[in-house]
Amino acid sequence: MEVLKEKVEEEEEAEREEAAERGEKMTRPLETRREEPPMTQEMLRDLEKKLSEIEIVIPEQPLIVTKDTIDISKLPLSYRSNTLKEEHLLQVADNFARQYSHLCPDRVPLFLHPLNECQVPKFVSTTIRPTLMPYPELYNWDSCAQFVSDFLSMVPLPDPLQPPSHLYSSTTVLKHQKGNCFDFSTLLCSMLIGAGYDAYCVNGYGSQDLCQMDLTRDVCPLTMKHKEVVQEEEKVPPKKYAIKPPRDLSSRFEQEQKMKKQQEIQGEKEKRWKEEEQRLLELEKAKIDPLHGLRVHAWVLVLSGKREVPESFFIDPLTARSYSTQDDHFLGIESLWNHKNYWVNMQDCWNGCKDLVFDLGDPVRWEYLLLGTDKPQLAVAEEEDDGMNDDEDMENLGKEDEDKSFDMPPSWVEQIEISPEAFETRCPNGKKVIQYKRAKLEKWAPYLNSDGLVCRLTTYEDLECTETLEIKEWYQHREDMLELKHINKNTGLNIDYFKPGHPQALCVHSYKSMQPEMDRIMEFYETARVDGLIKREETPKTMTEYYQGRSDFLSYRHVDFGDRVKKLALNSAESNPRPMVKITERFSRNPAKPADEDVAERVFLIPEERIQLRYHCRDDHITASKREFLRRTEVDSKGNKIIMTPDMCISFEVEPMEHTKKLLYQYEAMMKLKNEEKLSKHQAWESELEVLEILKLREEEEEAHTLTISIYDTKRNEKSKEYREAMERVMHEEHLRQVEAQLDYLAPFLAQLPPGEKLTRWQAARVKDECLSDFKQRLIDKANLIQARFEKETQELQKKQQWYQENQVTLTPEDEDWYLSYCSQAMFRIRILEQRLNRHKELAPLKYLALEEKLHKDPRLVDFLKVFA
Amino acid sequence: MQRLYDSVEPRVMDEDMLKLAVGEQGPQEEAGQLARQEGILFKDVVSLRLDFQNILRIDSLWQFENLRKLQLDNNIIEKIEGLEHLVHLVWLDLSFNNIEAIEGLDTLVNLEDLSLFNNRITKIDSLDALVKLQVLSLGNNQIGNMMNIIYLRRFKDLRSLSLSGNPIAESEDYKMFICAYLPDLVYLDFRRIDDHMKELAESKHQYSIDELKHRENLIQARLDDELAWQVELEKHKAAFVEHLNGSFLFDSMYTEDVEGNKLAYLPGVGELLQGYKDKFVIICLNIFEYGLKQQEKRKLELDTFNECVKEAIQENQEQGKHRIAEFEEKHLLSLNAIREESDLTNIEVRIVEYGEDITELFNVLMTLEMQLVEQLEETINMFERNIMDLVALFIENVQSLMAQCRDLENHHHEKLLEISINTLEKILKGELDEDLPDNLRALFVDKDTIVNAVGASHDIHLLKIDNREDELVTRTNSWCAHLVDTIHKNEIMRNRRRVKEINQYIDHIQNELDNLECGDVID
Repeated sequence: MEVLKEKVEEEEEAEREEAAERGEKMTRPLETRREEPPMTQEMLRDLEKKLSEIEIVIPEQPLIVTKDTIDISKLPLSYRSNTLKEEHLLQVADNFARQYSHLCPDRVPLFLHPLNECQVPKFVSTTIRPTLMPYPELYNWDSCAQFVSDFLSMVPLPDPLQPPSHLYSSTTVLKHQKGNCFDFSTLLCSMLIGAGYDAYCVNGYGSQDLCQMDLTRDVCPLTMKHKEVVQEEEKVPPKKYAIKPPRDLSSRFEQEQKMKKQQEIQGEKEKRWKEEEQRLLELEKAKIDPLHGLRVHAWVLVLSGKREVPESFFIDPLTARSYSTQDDHFLGIESLWNHKNYWVNMQDCWNGCKDLVFDLGDPVRWEYLLLGTDKPQLAVAEEEDDGMNDDEDMENLGKEDEDKSFDMPPSWVEQIEISPEAFETRCPNGKKVIQYKRAKLEKWAPYLNSDGLVCRLTTYEDLECTETLEIKEWYQHREDMLELKHINKNTGLNIDYFKPGHPQALCVHSYKSMQPEMDRIMEFYETARVDGLIKREETPKTMTEYYQGRSDFLSYRHVDFGDRVKKLALNSAESNPRPMVKITERFSRNPAKPADEDVAERVFLIPEERIQLRYHCRDDHITASKREFLRRTEVDSKGNKIIMTPDMCISFEVEPMEHTKKLLYQYEAMMKLKNEEKLSKHQAWESELEVLEILKLREEEEEAHTLTISIYDTKRNEKSKEYREAMERVMHEEHLRQVEAQLDYLAPFLAQLPPGEKLTRWQAARVKDECLSDFKQRLIDKANLIQARFEKETQELQKKQQWYQENQVTLTPEDEDWYLSYCSQAMFRIRILEQRLNRHKELAPLKYLALEEKLHKDPRLVDFLKVFA
Repeated sequence: MQRLYDSVEPRVMDEDMLKLAVGEQGPQEEAGQLARQEGILFKDVVSLRLDFQNILRIDSLWQFENLRKLQLDNNIIEKIEGLEHLVHLVWLDLSFNNIEAIEGLDTLVNLEDLSLFNNRITKIDSLDALVKLQVLSLGNNQIGNMMNIIYLRRFKDLRSLSLSGNPIAESEDYKMFICAYLPDLVYLDFRRIDDHMKELAESKHQYSIDELKHRENLIQARLDDELAWQVELEKHKAAFVEHLNGSFLFDSMYTEDVEGNKLAYLPGVGELLQGYKDKFVIICLNIFEYGLKQQEKRKLELDTFNECVKEAIQENQEQGKHRIAEFEEKHLLSLNAIREESDLTNIEVRIVEYGEDITELFNVLMTLEMQLVEQLEETINMFERNIMDLVALFIENVQSLMAQCRDLENHHHEKLLEISINTLEKILKGELDEDLPDNLRALFVDKDTIVNAVGASHDIHLLKIDNREDELVTRTNSWCAHLVDTIHKNEIMRNRRRVKEINQYIDHIQNELDNLECGDVID
């Protein structure tokens, strides 16, 4: 502020005017500036009218939290009063504001020291309380921002054109989980600075969408597809002996013509597409905001440099989105501050924030409030500014000394604390709904929904959100490891995604209906399965399975089913499997076998009793051997069974071998294949069964939807809680017992002896005797006490009985009742006393002996007593 | 156990006996019917049992090339013979025979299980070839010397050994000795050796075993060294510069040179010779290093060439495979269509279509192949030119280096001649103070003799150098020619094979089509 004063003295009138103009420009960026020349009284009135209208729209809740909800008395002293230093700071700030308003009369007053919840003015910088949160999730800016935006619910500013009059402490805001954009920014800024970022609260102007947290024109970040990074294949330089490609004999002219035609078609398509896009954009475009450029907003600026931030950016704390500093949504900056200083923007904002330079060390662009904070003076590097800076420095020299001694007082805000429960619950009441463009996002706290639903994204076809396109549901802590459910309303396709750990190793399950024998694809975590199944695709008539990493090198199995045969016996309990028509199996290459003997594909045509084999291709060949077996059992003319004839096996061999021509070889191969066919059929049948089983299991899981609780989750894990409590109880009891056991019987007697001296034998004996006699006395006393009570009770009872007998006639029924109950109680007491007495009589000698024994073993007496004994 | 084989007549292993055995032990039931129908070839037999046949002499087994298991137990065989051709044999049972010595097993490198139980063997030897031996049964024999065990140390895979019933088994130390000397053994006399026993045995015989091990290690180390040296020499030979990395050539010049050796005793010749040798060796080393470098270059060239050719062939194969796969897909459909078609004219049309497809496939495949042949030919020619150039350059440089050698030799010759003549003059004048060896003095009779002697030495040296050079040049050239020849031959072979393959395939599908036609006509 002192600098400012200096400038006033030094700078000429013209410059001042310019500055004033600049200030004016700043307050009316963009739209308003354009309208400036034709601005008439009418328009102003219109504006005013609109303004008033808008004010009506805003709900009647000027304060975020009404005063009566805050118990001021419980707040600490720092909230309720200002320290001397803070008072000083406020004076300094006032001084600064006065000079500022004098210099820039056209600019709005600065947001310097709003009132806090106790109606005490507090400087904004001291409201920031840098805190590093104990949760590792909150170490990075994006998760921090997401937390703040989830945790608090937004309350619009009381007056959208002015900064609020109150700025509450972050602790209060967190307690009530409500706040305006300034509260959001302050909290987020505190957390970011705590986490080591170079973050600032910014007071400025934003677009309507931004200020009202309106995301309906934004595409939901979850619906955006990740752009696949196309890896360009590195071109290998042609080798020395690479063969030359064969000569291309096609006409180049014809090719060109074709290309041209294609391009034309392509161009037309693109054009149409673009037009469509344009049309859509028009539709989506927002209505023009009459208050554009005037809406006050607060957000967070993160400067590059710390925590490896490469480039400065804005974070909108309401939506947790990051924007570049050139974004259209941000229309101007009045001032910004962190926990150490406060800067006023002196740059022109006619073009939004696009031209702003965030070099806070440059006093021409950013006017600072306090001198001598550790903000680096970056501008020194620039030569043009150098001279000016030097001058200023020279002139400021005298004042700097006194100023330097004054730095920002520590924050008055209490430590920001977020309880683990609150951190986990996140959103107020554990639920939050955000409306995006053509999408609705709902969030829940974990364990809030009994089926583990934590997030649901509904995508709509139209802007009005009436036609549902698809629904995505995220789950957490499900025992069936369901992670994401994707329902496409158009196609009716459901896709369930699972995390590793499903009992059937399911990974992805996409289906249209849960009925068996329908279209469905199941993917599995193949490493968790014994059979190495990766994927199973089903259509009503086929089933295809893909395998990996099997010892028999099976990689693919395709089964075609025929129509179900009508059951003959309707009452048979067995299921009626569909007949298999064709089984195709493919194998990967088994390096242990020669290619000619390694089957690549095996087709069983079951009704035709035909088996086709295709072998792998040899390394230096282009054709592969094939073999086809026809398995007809026929009977020749004499009635003998034909075992094998040459035409039952048609084979093509790349390199004919002698032994394969033999019928015996073919017969044996066929027998083996017959067995394998049975096996394959069985496996296919088992696969079908497995599908049924999985479907049943899925249905059960859907119905039960139990949630798992981590063993580390001490709050929810009932079992471990019980166990822990039991353990604690046991520990406590153990402790008590130990205290009892450690009772020193000898202490009172030893205390009588002179301290620090060694016991003599005589003393030891005497101590022991005393101890024992004392104990005996106590036992006797106790017995006497019980005896006395017993006698007393008996006497009283007798008295009562006497009294009763005397007055029996005159007694009311109530009195009688009273008497009877008294009698039974007294009898009970007497009996108890009697029992205790007996017990005492029994136990007393034993106790006495036990003590004697103990004393014998006592380390202090043992030496003497041994001899003594 | 002795049997009274006198009463039974020894039988001869003849065709009939083998056939019978094969028939009996071959496939049974339905498969047996087929087998009988077709007959079984001896070379397809994998396992054969010929026990209790009173066989005296092993014979007629040469046809059983693929035999894995052979049982000849309980016969009266006296000599192991006639098993040379059964190289795939894994299991050989010769127990309960009258064999006296182990022999005739030198070709059975795959043998894993050998049983010679109950024979008359006295010594374990001649088993060197059986590197895979795992089970050796030598019980009930006449082995008497414990040192036979040490012979068994060379079988690294030997796990089971039986020696009970031999004279050595009666010795007290028998078990301990075997356990100590054969530490990898798991079963002795069909009983598992427990770890405790092993430890005990080891500690007992530790001293002698350590010594044995040391000796074995020494031998092994020497073998390794030799092998490494051989490998190195092979490398040098491949570069055509073997024995040039030292004074081998120089030394060889003087080994056959009687006069030269004599003349070395002349005063002043010693130093001269030393200087000459040093210079000569330096040139030799130059040649050697240059040769190795060139070898590297040639190898790189060859590798690049091979890689490129391989890639080209593979790409071509992929194309071919793709074509065939495409065809087969279509072919399957059209064949089915033909089968199901009822209209005769339609069948005709389809068959014609199909025939055309086949022809087209053939043409495409052949075009591909021809294209590849042309491409490869071009590449091969280029490679040939390059490798020829490389070799020519190599030879040229080596020759120039050799010429330097020759110059040195000439220079040396002149010097030597000068010294010799000087010495002769001195001798003639009687001025020589030093004593010369007698055989050297004999040369100094007159000028002709000494000049001839020096000349002869010079000639021998030049001859050696020339020979070495010639050898190098011829070998290099022949290597080059051979390489180029092989490449050409391989290419031709490849081409032939592929053409054959294509033809075979086309024939096959054509046949299939023809069969179908015939079938249709019959139907």
